[in-house]
Amino acid sequence: MRPDGSALPVLHDWELSAGCYAVRLMASLLGVAYHKALVDVHPGGETEGAAFRALNPRGTVPVWVEGPLVIGDTVAILGHLAATRDPSGAWLPREGAAFARTLDWLAFAARRLPAADTARLHAMAGLATGMTDAAGAAREAFRALDDHLARQAVDGHGFLAGPTPTVADIACFPSVALGVDFGEALERSPKLRAWTRRIRALPGFVTTPGVPEFL
Amino acid sequence: MSRTTDPVALDDWYVVGLPGDVQAGRPVTRRLLGADLTLERTADDVRVTEAASGRALPVQTAYGHLWTTLGAPKRPLFAIEEFAEADRRLAPCGAVRVRASGLRLVENFLDMAHFPFVHTDILGAEDKPAVEPYDCEIRRDVDEVWATNCRFWQPQAAAHADGGQMSDYIYRVASPFNVLLYKTCPSDAGRQDVIGLFIQPEEEDVSVAHAFVHVVDAVSSHTAIVHFQQTVFLQDRFILENQRPRLLPLSPRAETPTRADMSSIAYRRWLKEKGLRFGIDRRDAA
Ligand SMILES: [Fe+2]
Repeated sequence: MRPDGSALPVLHDWELSAGCYAVRLMASLLGVAYHKALVDVHPGGETEGAAFRALNPRGTVPVWVEGPLVIGDTVAILGHLAATRDPSGAWLPREGAAFARTLDWLAFAARRLPAADTARLHAMAGLATGMTDAAGAAREAFRALDDHLARQAVDGHGFLAGPTPTVADIACFPSVALGVDFGEALERSPKLRAWTRRIRALPGFVTTPGVPEFL
Repeated sequence: MSRTTDPVALDDWYVVGLPGDVQAGRPVTRRLLGADLTLERTADDVRVTEAASGRALPVQTAYGHLWTTLGAPKRPLFAIEEFAEADRRLAPCGAVRVRASGLRLVENFLDMAHFPFVHTDILGAEDKPAVEPYDCEIRRDVDEVWATNCRFWQPQAAAHADGGQMSDYIYRVASPFNVLLYKTCPSDAGRQDVIGLFIQPEEEDVSVAHAFVHVVDAVSSHTAIVHFQQTVFLQDRFILENQRPRLLPLSPRAETPTRADMSSIAYRRWLKEKGLRFGIDRRDAA
């Protein structure tokens, strides 16, 4: 219980999940306290079970539970944390082009980067995938990010949606930084490597196993 | 590549999964020593066949895992006596594929010097990097490599550790691709947790690691134990995938040994005596 009597939010977490790492990273950057409920995704298959499906019918981690609120998607959790825990508003800009750009790259993370997570879990744990050439799709997505960051650099912007980091950067970072787990070390993506270094340097940054110390 | 011709590698038992991996009507494929295997559930057992030849292979279930062999093992599967103790819990931690020789995985498992730098604040602390002298021997009667009297300061020695402890370790290489460690149990100083790594060598330079924990721990949840080991093993995986060469060099020139590397020296000498070729960097063998 917190001093005001309310319980801490709960993150249903799996250490190996890139999405769970995004939530742990966002929470750390914003100084959000929470409890962890560990989910035995592999080898236990807990996300397939009825108890977990009752919590999150999508059968995926992370899940964020805060009072009556249950959020079952990484991007939505990041948005929620930024909307409720960041008085500066910088992590989720509400004004003009910055708002649109943030949503644009959040959508990119949600649509294009699951390929990287699929390739990674397949390479690491042999987890079955319904996707053909997930690694190829992931590399294409990484190239698109690298191109975008090169264009951002022309404007002197070091992050995906502008000069300061937003939830979009945090949504994209884990899949990119953990690419080495399926053999993608970003050798041909200098802008992307420099961007990962900028994120690593943020106050409150936390790592997870597999994120290279030097990229 | 196709199945290895190395008789030393072939004539041994290997883990290929958990009994629960194989469900009725849903055969699964596995790779071992360059050969494709099919695993099928039968009425009361699991059948393993070598895909290329259709040959049925010997199967046994031991230590919560499924074991098979492509050759003719000269001795029975090694014994792990702690599996007879009823108050222990077995937590298989999930198969993880690593692009490295299985022998590299064993050597990493034996190496305490990497704890502070790879498992920072878990199995080691950066301000306490020293590996104290320990004893190491090739036990001829059982044909195993043992390292004893190993001690290391660990900030969080296990899922159920409550603060740091000086951990006492005993390492045991029971066969070239199977390694165990016995470690002070944080909740009962008189007993030892057993942690093991059963390696399924798929190719010379690709391995599947089946890590497990067999603990005296009434406190931690099964999931907490599994997550702890997964975290630790993923830290190792990253290091292992970046080691070059991916195969294990046996020549003493290849990597300079120190006192802390005694177990590695003994392990490599033991492998050399066996004449094992699979997973070994043979470029400097001549
Ligand atoms: Fe390690």
